[in-house]
Formats: sequence, C-alpha cells, structure tokens
Amino acid sequence: MSIPMELYLPIAGNSVNIPAVFGLGGVVGLLSGIFGVGGGFLMTPLLIMMGIPPTVAAATDSNQIVGASTSGTLAHLRLGNVDVKMGLLLLIGGIFGGAVGVQVIKALRAMGNADFLINITYVLMLGLVGGYMFIESLQSMRKAKAPVKKEAEKHVKSSAFARLVGMLPWQMDFERSGVRMSPILPLLLGGLVGLLSAIMGVGGGFIMVPVMVYLLRMPMHVVVGTSLFQILFTCVNVTIMQARTNHTVDFVLALILLIGSSLGAQIGAIVGKKLGGEQLKILLASLVLVMMFKILYELLARPDVLLAYVGGH
Amino acid sequence: MKRFAILAALCLLALPAVALAGDMNLSVSPPEITIDATYDGAILHVAGEVPEGSQIVARFSGTPEKVAVKEKGKALGLLWMNMNTLHFSGVPSVFLVESSAPLEGLGGAGCDLGLTGLMRAVTVEPSTADAVAMRSELLKLKRKDKLYREHVGGVTLEPAQNGVRKFSAAIAVPSRLSAGTYTVDVFAVKDGVVAAQASRSLQAKMVGIPALMADLAFNSAVWYGVLASLIAIVAGLAIGLVFQGKGAH
Repeated sequence: MSIPMELYLPIAGNSVNIPAVFGLGGVVGLLSGIFGVGGGFLMTPLLIMMGIPPTVAAATDSNQIVGASTSGTLAHLRLGNVDVKMGLLLLIGGIFGGAVGVQVIKALRAMGNADFLINITYVLMLGLVGGYMFIESLQSMRKAKAPVKKEAEKHVKSSAFARLVGMLPWQMDFERSGVRMSPILPLLLGGLVGLLSAIMGVGGGFIMVPVMVYLLRMPMHVVVGTSLFQILFTCVNVTIMQARTNHTVDFVLALILLIGSSLGAQIGAIVGKKLGGEQLKILLASLVLVMMFKILYELLARPDVLLAYVGGH
Repeated sequence: MKRFAILAALCLLALPAVALAGDMNLSVSPPEITIDATYDGAILHVAGEVPEGSQIVARFSGTPEKVAVKEKGKALGLLWMNMNTLHFSGVPSVFLVESSAPLEGLGGAGCDLGLTGLMRAVTVEPSTADAVAMRSELLKLKRKDKLYREHVGGVTLEPAQNGVRKFSAAIAVPSRLSAGTYTVDVFAVKDGVVAAQASRSLQAKMVGIPALMADLAFNSAVWYGVLASLIAIVAGLAIGLVFQGKGAH
C-alpha cells in the first residue's frame, strides 16, 4: 500500500498535495527563521496560489500561527523577554480589533468583496513594511559611514510624537520594558494591529514589531517576546471567531503547515546566524515588495474572467 | 448552504440508485462517490449497449441550481473589484462531457448535449445584463476551475454484433467536489438525433475524517474553533519541547 499523497480538505472543498503543503510550510518557516519574522504575510498569499480560497487561507493561517507562536513564546518566557503588562494591554486592544475585523470580513463576504479587501490590505501593508525595511537597511548601511547624522534625525521625529503621547491621561510605568506611558496608547495600537491581522489572516508580527520599537519605544529583546505572547492570544481569538462566524478554519491544513514551518524555522535560525548583515534585510525587503507587486498587478490588470463566486467557494 | 447539501445527501442516501429513464442498459461503477480523507477525484466507469452506427455522449453533472456571482468592474477607474450581483439559473456545479467523437460532428443533437446546449438554457438576472457575454464568462470561470469540460477519447466502442455495440466510458471527476446528488447521462447519437438514452443518479458523500470535520465545523462551529486552537497550542508546545526553546524567533 502506498502512502497517500493527496488530502481532501472538507472546509476548503478541494484536495491538496501533502508534500506541497508541507514544503510550503517549510519554505516560509525557513525564511522566517533566517529573517526573524513570523512569515504569515507570505503564507496566506502562497496558500491562495495553491488553490485554497482566500478566506480559508487567511483563517487557517491564523490557526497555524497559534501553534508557531506557542513554541516561540515558550522560549522567550524562559529568557524573561515577555512584558506581560504591555502584552495584556495590546491583547485587549487586539481582541476588540480582531472582533471588528471578523465582522468586517463577514459583511464584505456577503457583499462578495472580502477577497478584494484582503488583497488591498496586503498591498498596503506589504508596500509599507517592505518599503520601510528597504529604506531602513539602506540607511543603516549609510549609518556605518556617517552615524551622527542619523541620530539627530531620529531625535526630532520622536519628540513631536512624544509630546502627543505625553498628553494622554493615566501615565504608568512598564518596568520590564523600561518605559512610561498611558495605557490608551497600547490599547489603541493593539486594536489597530488586531483589526489588520483578522482581515489579513496574519499574526500581525510584522506590523506589531515596528509599532513596539518605534511607537512604544520598547527594547528589541522584549519586543520579540512580547509580540509573540500577544500574537498567540490574538490568533486563538481570531481562529475561534473565524470558525464560528465564517466556517473557514481547516485545522488539518494548519497542522501540516505548522509542522513544516517549525522544521523550516529551526534550519532557518542556523542559516540566519551564519549569514546575517544588511544585505539579508534588503533581500527580505525585496521579497516583500515582489509579493506586493504581484498582488497589485492582479488588482490593476484586466482579469481573465470577469465573474467571481460570492462567498468562499 | 453546505449544511443543507449534507442533509440532502443523507436523505437521498436512503434511496437506491435507480435508472431514471431510457431504453438502454447502463451500468455505473462505482455506484457512489465516497469522499474520504485521501479523495483526489475519481474515475467513473460507465458501460452499456447502443444501437449500431451511433456515437456516444456520456455526461456527469450536478443538479442545475441558482448561482449568485459578482461581476468584476473597475472601481475608481483603476482597481478591479466585484461590482454587480448576477443571478444565473440552471447552472450545475459540475458538467463533464465525454464523447466518442467531437460533438460538432454529431449534428444538431451533438451540440445540444454539450456545453453549448447547457449554456443556452442558462438564464441571467437582472435582464439588463449582457446575457451572451456573461454566459461566456461563466463558462470561462467553470472551465478554469476544471468543473466544466468537453473531452473526446474517454469512450471505447466495441465492434457491432447483432445490431448493437457495447461501449464503455471513463469520466474523470474532479477533486473539487462537494457532497450531493449527481447525474450520469448517456446518449446514443445517430444521424444527428438521439437514438437512445439512459440516465442514472449518483451520490457523492463524505465519509470518515472529512465527514466528521465538516459536521463539526458547520454544526458545532465554536467547539471546532476551540479544538483547532487547542490542537495548534499542543503541537506548538510539543515542537517547543523538542527543540528545547532554541527557536527561531
């Protein structure tokens, strides 16, 4: 008897090739291991390319991230890199944002435009993050030559934002992160990231990390641990709500992706340590931008077929 | 929608697969399609006898139903997005045609039995829509999904004996199939008209893991979501322990 290679997914209403899904998880995990990002923003579009309906791909990816962030959080808790207070505030915001996001998707699905919104959110976020990373890596390459100039630039930007944040009420200390601010800020930012991650079906790590570093001014080692901690709960919430409201979570698909990506991430971490450097960052930024241009092209070019099904399948 | 399809399939399972009409012997194997965890499409074997000198058209089709689709248009003159809703009537989810000769060569009856005939019967609402163009777009959409197909060569005809010819046809059913009732039709076409025909209904049902998952996901959606999260957390913890926390993040 041969080992079955094809698996029928009742939620997606189609069958997939197991080694292909496993490989997809592995490649995304490898990249996330090398570059230190979650990889959800790559996983969902690649699943769509494999013939999984976009709404199922997004919801299933959230489920996969639950597993991936569990193992990540575990590691960072051991190292003491999790700011639980900050994480909980971001989380409460994230739950509300996620709830709104799921309802938005539901309403748009009924109108037939959910996939359009998912695509446009991707273009914006990939463009922003890719463009930002690209410029940032170029700057830090230049910084190696002229470090003083960049320092001054950064200072002017932060003081305007800091004045605004200082006006918010209920200032409190966050010892682990060593910052003082109003809890309203993490609540709002958490809500925004939660909304986006529900729509895009990603953990929101690649949005949350820049938010924590540049807007909440947390130290980098705490950022990664807290982000994973927060993402874990956000994605549990999104998974349950997507399952309840839209019936779009396929946990078998998620499990295969999870195993693939965990193995890939381990290999990626080793490879990443050996490589490293700004060139790697530029490479990832280019990858993100290529993905963005692909989705953008599909929005701009005349489609092959001028009709689309309403709903999932 | 899907819950209803599963229910309908279960109700219909009680009925035996009977030949609906026709003056032709017809055997279909397997008698029903089971969608289990490793389902990746199926090959249906259809066999029978037809009058000498006729060609065979064998079809596998879903029940004609109403389908709502979105027409794509340009938003703000720039981005392609879904605009108006169109309602098509008489659209089977799947429509596969196997014939012993190209349908165009079988005269009037040939074309009627294929996709051309099917699409002619499809109506579009609202009436303001460009029916001809939209029907051809619908056909494109279904063909792209490999749900509609016309194919020549899957039919084997044996030499005639005592005025009848034995035939057998193989129809490849796609992996993208939901549970429900489907129909197998066979037509013997001679001199541009249908000389004989037979029809048989066929069930596709989910069994095993897909049936359990679909039932849980649609009938106990919250528990399904909780279960999906728990499985992921346990898997994540197991992976974290295996790699002793020297993870990538």
